[in-house]
Amino acid sequence: MMDSGFDRRDFLKVMGWGGAAAALSGCGNTSIENGKETVVSYVEAADYVIPGIGVYYNSTCAQCDAGCSINGRVREGRVLKLEGNPASAINRGRMCGLGQAGVQHHYNPDRLREPLLRNGDKGEIITWEKAYALIAEKLKGVSGEEIAFLSGGVSGHLKVLLGNYLASLGCKNHFVYEALAPGVVRAANKKAYGVEMPRYNISKAKVVLSFGADFLGAWVSPVHFSQQYAQFRRSVDGQRGVLIQVEPKMTLTGANADRWVPIRPGTEGVLALGIINALGTSTGEIAAAVKGYDRARVSKETGVPPGQIDKIAAILKLRSPSLVLAGGAAEGYAHGSQNAAAINLLNHVLGNIGKTVEATAAVPFPQMAPAKGNTAALKSLNDGLAAGKYKVLFNYAANPVFTAPGALKFKDNLAKVGFKVAFAHYLDETALHADLVLPLDSALEDWGTLVPEYMAEGAQINIQQPLMENLHPNTRGIGDILLALLKQRRPEEYKNYEDYYAYLRTALVQNKTAFGGHAVDDETFWNETLTKGIVKLPGTTAALSGRAGVAGLKLPAPVENDEQYPLQFIPSVNISLRDGRNSNQPWLQESPDPLTTIVWDSWMEIHPKKAAELGIVEGDIVEVTSRVGSIKTQAYLFPGIHPDAISIPIGQGHEAMGRYAKGYGVNPFQIMDAVFDRETGELAMHETRVRVSKTGQRVIIVKDESAAGAKQIREKIAARVSTDNVDLSKEV
Amino acid sequence: MSISNLLENWSQFRHTHPVEDKPHDPYKWAMTIDLDACSGCNACSVACYAENNLPVVGKEKYAHGQAMHWMRIEHYWDEDVGEEGGREFPDQGAQFLPMMCQQCEAAPCETVCPVGATNHTPDGLNSQIYNRCIGSRYCSANCPYKVRYFNWYDYPSTDNVWPAEMAQQLNPDVTVRGKGVMEKCTFCVQRLAEAKVKAKSEGRIVQDGEVQTACQQACPTSAISFGNLVDPESRVHRQWRAQQVELDKDKQAKDEKEGGTELRGYRILENMRPYPSVMYLERVRESAI
Repeated sequence: MMDSGFDRRDFLKVMGWGGAAAALSGCGNTSIENGKETVVSYVEAADYVIPGIGVYYNSTCAQCDAGCSINGRVREGRVLKLEGNPASAINRGRMCGLGQAGVQHHYNPDRLREPLLRNGDKGEIITWEKAYALIAEKLKGVSGEEIAFLSGGVSGHLKVLLGNYLASLGCKNHFVYEALAPGVVRAANKKAYGVEMPRYNISKAKVVLSFGADFLGAWVSPVHFSQQYAQFRRSVDGQRGVLIQVEPKMTLTGANADRWVPIRPGTEGVLALGIINALGTSTGEIAAAVKGYDRARVSKETGVPPGQIDKIAAILKLRSPSLVLAGGAAEGYAHGSQNAAAINLLNHVLGNIGKTVEATAAVPFPQMAPAKGNTAALKSLNDGLAAGKYKVLFNYAANPVFTAPGALKFKDNLAKVGFKVAFAHYLDETALHADLVLPLDSALEDWGTLVPEYMAEGAQINIQQPLMENLHPNTRGIGDILLALLKQRRPEEYKNYEDYYAYLRTALVQNKTAFGGHAVDDETFWNETLTKGIVKLPGTTAALSGRAGVAGLKLPAPVENDEQYPLQFIPSVNISLRDGRNSNQPWLQESPDPLTTIVWDSWMEIHPKKAAELGIVEGDIVEVTSRVGSIKTQAYLFPGIHPDAISIPIGQGHEAMGRYAKGYGVNPFQIMDAVFDRETGELAMHETRVRVSKTGQRVIIVKDESAAGAKQIREKIAARVSTDNVDLSKEV
Repeated sequence: MSISNLLENWSQFRHTHPVEDKPHDPYKWAMTIDLDACSGCNACSVACYAENNLPVVGKEKYAHGQAMHWMRIEHYWDEDVGEEGGREFPDQGAQFLPMMCQQCEAAPCETVCPVGATNHTPDGLNSQIYNRCIGSRYCSANCPYKVRYFNWYDYPSTDNVWPAEMAQQLNPDVTVRGKGVMEKCTFCVQRLAEAKVKAKSEGRIVQDGEVQTACQQACPTSAISFGNLVDPESRVHRQWRAQQVELDKDKQAKDEKEGGTELRGYRILENMRPYPSVMYLERVRESAI
């Protein structure tokens, strides 16, 4: 920034901290024509506000937790479009559709604008001073054990600040909850590799065998993996990479596989052991452990033909290194840990450790490392709520009323808390039950530092900075709120920080040596940091230390046929709606699901064979009933699902939140059983069993594909080349 | 444009580009999409909404086929999947194909416009002049790719399309279209115009990589490349040459050979002779597994 003569004061002016940016008021595209507004030219334009010229600022995408760096286009003080920041090793200038829609979160008409205090059924607008005073009052005389703080994944300085606040309250009940976290896989990885998330080198693998890891769609860091995938497809040492995807319901990654292997739900671990057996390369205790898993038995249990198991083993043997991934579809069972352990064992047997499963870089500040959300946290919070343990509950970046399985009766338990504070962007299902709702800045208005869970290369800290002035005057950043709350508790320690910006700047500048800024003065360091949007760190590399262990590996026999609930229920993760926190962004609602092309609604995927058995045709409204409850939605006949399973995507079925989310589709969490993984206590998302019945109603499904169901009819639209040995690296 | 004028000057309205009097010099914008890299994730489509002020029409209008997605992802399954006697599962996955205006060199839409609202630019774009369009929709009827989108409603004044807050996101470089106007992919002409003006002021032509379309910029697998086909150094030019796909031919080297070939490049519905400016690279599937 100094190079281009751009100094901090000007920067702040652009960002509105100096109170400039006169062009902001009212930007409706017709109001000037209508004569409601007058065009006022800049008397003295702030630097870098040149009418008609877009300026770009780096920040971090907050639409999911992958931590992609973004480059926002700002014109006349308004952020218009987000591009990827090419300097980030995570997304290298690329963006997904979900990330693109970040501007629709920021400009969302349903965002909360004022602090609201419950008054009966209504929210009464109050001032921030009153809100803070109310929190202080409610915390008076409440012991630390009686306070709970529920949040989504947090990292960076926000995590530090939050930790300090909880410490000031004497509260140890911080529940970090993410509805779709790979909690079981993390634990299994920790055992097998010594780290929770190793670096998966897809671009170095000649074969990727993925057990339900939708790495192109919604798993861990999809934009990063997509780039690796593109490299993998072009060539790995002169051979085009081969992707095999094993899962009961086809994901986007499955749709891109060379071979998609439908498997009986829950038997992923059995197949993994069967492959180890078929490889026949292991000795000692591993060989002993897989001895019983011969082709006949594995095929019978998994439903995968014996020939297919042989083919998979043969190609894994032939092409090395390979990479085996355990994902969401494999971990969602009571024996999910066992499944994941068996799958990870394959990587050991195939010698992939250190080649495609690599050591990961960690940020050398453990206090800033991400507090990773999981679903076990929800259970312990829910247990505490049910027991009436908590008098005050804070909630930030989580919507458990929407995402908790129906069987937990979270909503009822929540009512037992005396005073509930929600820091929220929308009046979502959880905020609706709060007593005090505090409106947050959007991610494009707020300051922050974020440490991604999945590090692509070296360690990095992502900088989040405002791309424009606050859209609504009465929203606050979560950092600012925590700072204000901390000032109530420890005024001496925090009195020097006027706001979170000051705190962040001080924290970073004080440690500039560690952040690679030893040679420059504070001002330059800070400006450079903001310009880049990323702090790249030397990082400590956590070496892989796990070992190939079979101790305790025990896979259960396949489930018996359940007469009453004959079908396995798979709550699928849609690439753009994910856990539903972004459902109020209309671009995402109108972005067709890649596999069904359905928009603006939920649907139940069922295999045509099973549908014929039940007499179901496309568009039939069906009732899906589990032990917990039932939901009704439209049926979509989909050959990419195991006939013993049905699937409904997560993310729809909001009862609140906003005009683009409320009332569309159904929420599959409502019928979810509360079954947990035996080892980790994580929610077993795929353990619910259901039955399907017709209601007699039928609708025309709103979808993008034609009535012919997207078959290639006569015309060769896109041919498929099948070949044993292709190298696309020579192509331009 | 009277009928007599149309008939007398037929060749002027129906010709392939380039022709001698209107050479593609110095630009001919073209695109390549690698279907083996494309994962069907929809990032391009959403990026297009963000860049080009596309209205979100809502469920009801979507059901009526009135979606305005200039870039849509088509997906295809093998014909025998789920059929009687066919394969039970789509075990070789789906095929995704991003579809948008192919910027045809002999565009079927151009010749039928009664008011000349859609026509060809010297840099090889099929352009749409919004304020000349009278909404006859002939162009859409005549488009073999079905990539023209009609404004059946006045979206700026329709509830919840662009509420006041969201209107602030609209790209000022792109017109917000009103009711009764046809629209379609422009290859992000606003970006091209900016790059061309900048290059011209510096006394040069636009370099390869200097301008990206919104879809190309977002694409997580870098499946889309875009550039100047006239420029022999451009990636698009090199790709087209390597795949032996020629702009003004309706049959390519690949079509001459039966069965397997090293060439992957093809253009869609080439036999109808619209001479599209978008080349697709076939998807490859491993048969060893």
